Amino acid sequence: MINQPSTTIVDQNQEKKFLNDLINNNNSAYETLVRNYSPKMYAVARHFFSDNDDIQECTQKTFIQVFKNIKKFKQDSSLTTWLHRITVNEALMMIRQKKRQYSESLESFSQHYNEFGERTAFCDNTGSNIEAVFELNERKNSLNEIIYQLPEKYCNVILLRDIQEISTKETASILGITETSVKTQLHRGRQILKAILEQQERVNAEINWKVK
Amino acid sequence: MLKIKRLMQKHVPGMMTCEAVDEFLYDYHEGNLSYFESVKFKLHLSMCKECQAYVLGYKNTIRTSQENFITPEPIEKIPEELIQAILDIRTDK
Repeated sequence: MINQPSTTIVDQNQEKKFLNDLINNNNSAYETLVRNYSPKMYAVARHFFSDNDDIQECTQKTFIQVFKNIKKFKQDSSLTTWLHRITVNEALMMIRQKKRQYSESLESFSQHYNEFGERTAFCDNTGSNIEAVFELNERKNSLNEIIYQLPEKYCNVILLRDIQEISTKETASILGITETSVKTQLHRGRQILKAILEQQERVNAEINWKVK
Repeated sequence: MLKIKRLMQKHVPGMMTCEAVDEFLYDYHEGNLSYFESVKFKLHLSMCKECQAYVLGYKNTIRTSQENFITPEPIEKIPEELIQAILDIRTDK
């Protein structure tokens, strides 16, 4: 869970003056910004990655965005909240760039019902998709990788809602989608993740049985 | 049990199907169901082993993802090299 960083500059007037200094390219204000706020941004980025290099890269890239966009900061939220959002967006962007997406045929991880609306056998003969999941797992057997490889819309909501435990409202705002879409995509993402994890469990059980 | 479930679905008004359980599962997990919806949801679960297993798997998936997602240990202090690198980005602009 992300601990919402405490505001470094508590007083609103103080923050306004600080922002003015930043907009006016005051070097010492920039140094204060980097030194005072980077630990908080690093702490936010830490919850998205398993590797320290990625966290450092994300913190750096976030500051590039901050430097570019500080003049556009409308001050309708606190500076801390704005920096928090940019960090989350940058982390999601990095994950997007790194991932090798599965094809849309992941949609075949669907539940099936008969004419009475009853649950029938789960359709798990997804062929090459499942093989891809396990090729990937052999390379790096971590849950992080499984989540990163989900289609982007599911990956994002799982990371924000289930892993970071950010509220539905805030998640919707960060991703620029409606709260209903967050709910629908999260439910679908969890179903797909469930199917993948259960498939992995079955394969692991089979491997263990063969080894014995 | 299957027969009872089908009979109830046919004759008890508002009785949930497995498909409906899936639709309500997210809100059930979030604790957003009304009292009446929650009763219907639980009544279906009490009669349907498949849905019991499905709901348990759904909860386990969320718990597993929360417990097994790897993040590095927090650091006490941001490395000075990182701070300098960030400040250099700005002066390089």
